[in-house]
Amino acid sequence: MLKRNVRAGAIALALVLPAGAHAQTSEQLEEIRKQIQDLKDSYDTRIKALENQLKQTEEAAAKAQSSASQAQSAASEAKQSAESAAQGTGLKPPASPSAFNPALSLILMGGYYNSNQDPNTRTITGFLGPTQLGLPERGFDLGESEITISANVDHLFYGQATFSMEDGLINTEEAFFQTTSIGHGFTVKGGRFFSGIGYENSQHNHNWDFEDDALVQQAFLGPNFGIDGLQASWIAPLASVYVELGAEGGKPVEFPFDTSDHNTNGFQVGTLFAHLGGDIGVSNSYRFGVWGLNAKNQVTDAIYQPLGFTGFDNTLSGGNTKLWGLDFVYKWAPNGDPSYRNFKLVAEWMHRSQDGTLTYDPGATVGGPFVGPFTADQSGWFVQGVYQFHPYWRAGLRYDQLEEGSYSLGSGLGGAPGLAPPDFTPKRWTAMVDWSPSEFSRFRLQYNQDKSQQGITDNQWFLQYILSLGTHGAHKF
Amino acid sequence: MKNFLSLLSLTALVGWSGLAASAVNVFACHPEWGALANEIGGDRVSVYVATTALQDPHKIQARPSLIARARVADLVFCTGAELEVGWMPVVIGQSGNEKIVVGKPGNLEAANYVPLKEVPTRLDRSLGDVHPLGNPHIQWGPQNIQLVADELARRLAYIDPAGKAYYQGRLASFTQRWTQATKRWEQEATALKGLAVIEHHKELTYLFDWLGMPVVGSLEPKPGVEPTSSHLSELVDQQKTNPAKLIVITTQKNPDAAEWLSAQIKVPEIALPQTVGGTPGAKDLFSMYDDAISRLLAAEKPKS
Repeated sequence: MLKRNVRAGAIALALVLPAGAHAQTSEQLEEIRKQIQDLKDSYDTRIKALENQLKQTEEAAAKAQSSASQAQSAASEAKQSAESAAQGTGLKPPASPSAFNPALSLILMGGYYNSNQDPNTRTITGFLGPTQLGLPERGFDLGESEITISANVDHLFYGQATFSMEDGLINTEEAFFQTTSIGHGFTVKGGRFFSGIGYENSQHNHNWDFEDDALVQQAFLGPNFGIDGLQASWIAPLASVYVELGAEGGKPVEFPFDTSDHNTNGFQVGTLFAHLGGDIGVSNSYRFGVWGLNAKNQVTDAIYQPLGFTGFDNTLSGGNTKLWGLDFVYKWAPNGDPSYRNFKLVAEWMHRSQDGTLTYDPGATVGGPFVGPFTADQSGWFVQGVYQFHPYWRAGLRYDQLEEGSYSLGSGLGGAPGLAPPDFTPKRWTAMVDWSPSEFSRFRLQYNQDKSQQGITDNQWFLQYILSLGTHGAHKF
Repeated sequence: MKNFLSLLSLTALVGWSGLAASAVNVFACHPEWGALANEIGGDRVSVYVATTALQDPHKIQARPSLIARARVADLVFCTGAELEVGWMPVVIGQSGNEKIVVGKPGNLEAANYVPLKEVPTRLDRSLGDVHPLGNPHIQWGPQNIQLVADELARRLAYIDPAGKAYYQGRLASFTQRWTQATKRWEQEATALKGLAVIEHHKELTYLFDWLGMPVVGSLEPKPGVEPTSSHLSELVDQQKTNPAKLIVITTQKNPDAAEWLSAQIKVPEIALPQTVGGTPGAKDLFSMYDDAISRLLAAEKPKS
């Protein structure tokens, strides 16, 4: 109302007043314009300030939102980590019936053998020994293929079996169960297993440092003397040094005690062994062993072929075969890291005494068969060293020697031609080099100068491959 | 004589029980776990470490001394994820100790509590000696160490219930110090972000991932295979298109390949500790990270 009046008043004034009044009105108009402009400016400033404030508030809100979402994603990541941590490792096991499949590995072996002597005629002079030395056929030869299967059976037992296949024959090398939960240092093994005597005896051939095993091992125990029976071992709780005591009992699997008549009650072989081992500093490790074995001779095939005689039969029956031995392993690696260089030394000594009734039959034409009481005390030893000089390359040297010891031929065996061993010391030198581009493949070149048979020197050359696939094998000492 | 014998047997009995009642015997496979066991276990644990930082954990053998130590262990503390598959199963199987069998409380595999990186989508040995469950060299991720520490404290409390409060106290102290240290390392190492490196084996992956350092190549042509001259020549060629600023190996490795490549592509090469004890400065978990980061920073900014 005031406005209308002012306006009305202004119009009335403008109408009533003459030109002079007009100039006065212009000034006032200017004044009003200026005031309006000032008002506009002040409103502008205030609006701008408000707009700025709004913008800042919006930005702050946006920032708050982004840190909230960051916190959210961090929380969800943490939740994921916690979840996967609770579940275990990244690779989830397949939920299928085969999820409990055992560890399975296959070893492929073969090679090429060259020798100037026919391996089928080879023997070790002076030793009632194995029916066949462990020599391959000459030329290219597929060796053994070996499958090992193992797994925990349940909360108490572990099981493992090794089958070797060669030329249509499948051989059960080992098939045993082992306790996992007796505790107090005790382990019991049962079934068929390589005996824990010595060092080399329990090594499978694909783990050997040479293509073949030591001469004394071949002469007395065969490549791996095994027992069908039980083994009990105990490790002392000494922490700073390794002390193990063990005992085995059962039936011998094969040579040297194999018989055509396995059908007997009770134990036919028993062993005792003890090991002492440890570290010296960071770079050296060792193990000493001492052991003994006692076996009943049922009927033992013992082919002994002295020179000049062929195709006859010997058997040793009744009585006992006793063996005892010492073994030593030493390993060196700089700072205990075998990756680039390392050295391994093995030495074993064994003594065998046999007694029983020998039936020695070199053929009727020379007066056979001869039957009588027989005893023999013999021994043998070897030393071998292998030096790895590069991550992939190793070189090894080995010396074998057998001591014929003494025979005692009772009445009935006197005059048996060729039975008493000649004065001869079987010897052999071996050198090898092998290339292993990974833990799973090995290629070996080896030379043996074999003077274990009187009158001949057998120059033997071996080329060998050993490949493994499947589950990672164990690094045994 | 009778009195002497009974005194002797009494002493032996007391001595034996004294032995049993003392510390929790921890068999740690590697020095990082030994250090962590000392942090969390303190006076209540007696720690034996099976390997050193100068040994390749993939190549260890089940030697008698390890079996003897596992025989008396209450807790076996290893990485798992098949890092020790070549030797620990034999050590445990031969030890005659039922407490440390896999699955029992006395067997702790750190990798089970940590999200593993580089889980392979295809398992084949033609790709090298690949770790089937993922990269097990987890000691270089600070978050991993914390996760394992948490589980270790729980596990020690389970094995030794009387020490539960003690272990929790030590865990709390460790967690606080470790969190602070981790922040400090992240700040110190911002200069390393984006620095491209060539490694030897994948044993420092977690460190490079954490510090944001891309790995553009490795001296090994495939995991577990020694560097070959043809592969090293490939790396020299690669330097033109995808250059690395640094070659990083560990003090356990033979430096020949790294030194050759460094001379060829004019890029510095340094050696970090693989784990605790790998360098004089890496005395425990904290100083191991300190030492590694300071060596990386020194190489990134060489004195002019």
